[in-house]
Amino acid sequence: MSEKTYVQAMREALVEEMKRDDKVFLVGESVRGGSFGVTSGLFQQFGEDRVLDTPICETGVAGAGIGAALAGYRPVVDFMFADFMYVAGDEVFLKASQWHFLHGGKVNLPVVFLGAVGGGMMLCNEHSQVPSAPVLHAPGLKLVQPSTPYDAKGLLKSAVRDNNPVAFFYHKRLLGLKGEVPHGEYTVPLGKADVKKEGSHVTVIATSMMVHYALKAAAELAGKISVEVVDPRTLEPLDIETILNSVKKTGRVVIVDEDTERCGFAAELGFQIMERGFDLLDAPVKRVCAANYPIPGGYMEQHVLPSAEKVKAAVEAVMAR
Amino acid sequence: MALTKEQLVTLYTNLVRTRAFDRLFVRRLSEGRLLGFFHPAEGGEAPGVGACSFLRKDDYMWPHIRGHGLPHMIGKGIDPKYYLAEHTGKETGFCRGMSTFHSIDTEHGLIGGAGTIGSGFPVTVGLGLAAKMNGRNQVVVCCFGDGTSNRGTFHECALMVNNWKLPVIFVCENNGLGMFVPVEESHPVEDIASLAQGYGMPAAVVDGQDVVAVAEAVMPAVERAREGKGPSMIECKCLRFCSHAVGVPDFRGGEIRSQEEIAAMRKRDPVRLCEEMLLKRGVIGKGDVERIAAEAEAEVADAEKFADGSPVLNPELLDQLLYS
Repeated sequence: MSEKTYVQAMREALVEEMKRDDKVFLVGESVRGGSFGVTSGLFQQFGEDRVLDTPICETGVAGAGIGAALAGYRPVVDFMFADFMYVAGDEVFLKASQWHFLHGGKVNLPVVFLGAVGGGMMLCNEHSQVPSAPVLHAPGLKLVQPSTPYDAKGLLKSAVRDNNPVAFFYHKRLLGLKGEVPHGEYTVPLGKADVKKEGSHVTVIATSMMVHYALKAAAELAGKISVEVVDPRTLEPLDIETILNSVKKTGRVVIVDEDTERCGFAAELGFQIMERGFDLLDAPVKRVCAANYPIPGGYMEQHVLPSAEKVKAAVEAVMAR
Repeated sequence: MALTKEQLVTLYTNLVRTRAFDRLFVRRLSEGRLLGFFHPAEGGEAPGVGACSFLRKDDYMWPHIRGHGLPHMIGKGIDPKYYLAEHTGKETGFCRGMSTFHSIDTEHGLIGGAGTIGSGFPVTVGLGLAAKMNGRNQVVVCCFGDGTSNRGTFHECALMVNNWKLPVIFVCENNGLGMFVPVEESHPVEDIASLAQGYGMPAAVVDGQDVVAVAEAVMPAVERAREGKGPSMIECKCLRFCSHAVGVPDFRGGEIRSQEEIAAMRKRDPVRLCEEMLLKRGVIGKGDVERIAAEAEAEVADAEKFADGSPVLNPELLDQLLYS
């Protein structure tokens, strides 16, 4: 084990997968230099045939991934900001995600869509979203949202190896987060949740950056309320069993997700818990999400996005029932 | 580039077969025996047939929506009975009856079409990139209409394939109408091919009613792409005898196109023009014309028998199809 940052872990995953399989290549605007440092240095190692800079052409870049995937390659498409995926909505949501199914299973689209997500940097709506809901609403597309360096590396390797399209959302505010990463080869399977902290009174299911808010809230409540923090790690496929096992133990649930509340992942998960675990619940499920507003820039942003304090308040409220 | 007698006969035969299947699809849709909708190719078959008849099996081809790609598929050597099966929702179709007309047949290089017009351009970038990386000298022929060329995706694709000198041939089938909108209202200059200049790729404008002219323009562009010299664009000025889609009024702008206008157009029927030229040159005789027509009709009948006799996919299999 050694301590690495989240972004170093992601970069290691890309290097290892590009070495392992010469069908893997990177394509996107400014990937040689690397936005956020995720792809920095790969050009020097792998050359311009496998690290392809493009004009600002989101549909063309997404299409480059789709077409090459159809022709037997394993492209990693870098959208820079996940918000920019909307520009290539047709390509991502109607083509990549759906083509395996719609073509009777006869074609595979092993493409990874990389996108930085999340607010907290006052960048306003077009550089701050966590557009999980649109991805989850496009059947056939997997969604990965790692919260630690260990998970980021192991999940990115699995995403590259997956024969299906995978949206890989990494959080801008986690890039510098340090954590233990093994020296040797390992992967983290898609579809396996991780209990980040054990507890007995309430289950907090949190994604990406929100895991850290949940852990902070749990630490502050320690001694009063025993909080279990479950990180689904991949929102699709979703490890609902691990979540239900936790609910079985606690009977109380708070879901924390940075995407907009309405029709988001928290709504979906809350409903699944109601459908499959209604009798396990001792209180209604509570959500902490981005408010149903656009994400503003400037000082108003903090009033729209979730925070550790809001998570703490939700946990206390669900315990008071 | 002079075509051989055999190549000329191939073009003519593919035109006749395309016309026969196009009419079959129109008839069956009208009878409720084709699924989805259908945008006939009648009058505009020559660009697809001319562009795709002399490609390699492993070349990639994105078809234009006209005829739902029938001219292109038949040109490319794809057996249309599998497309009829697909378009009638049968398991024996290209995609097990799941796609109606959004078919992919990777074995024959058929990728698309799609419902969102102009979405073939981004995919073309990736196919071209793969073709270049493969080193197998494959090419990508991307066919689209005048209306399709309006999409911003064309710009992104044209930039990227020209930056990277990818083996792509753009074939614009300009029939003068994007659904109901006249091309002169959606494109500010006479030739769509003039776009090519801005990307630094060569372009040609040809008579799209003349299948031989189309083939003679596309073939050197294909060779150029195979040699690694990059993309080209061919604009085919063609015609549309029918309305935009079966069951849709035949508008130009807000007015129905007149019978006189259609009748005048029909004098430049691409099938008849090719037939007359081949007869005049002595490439084929009257007997050949009759034989080719009869064979096309027999092929249509066989395709119907095949499609109609095929089963529908067991819906219990849907669960297994979402992920690979």
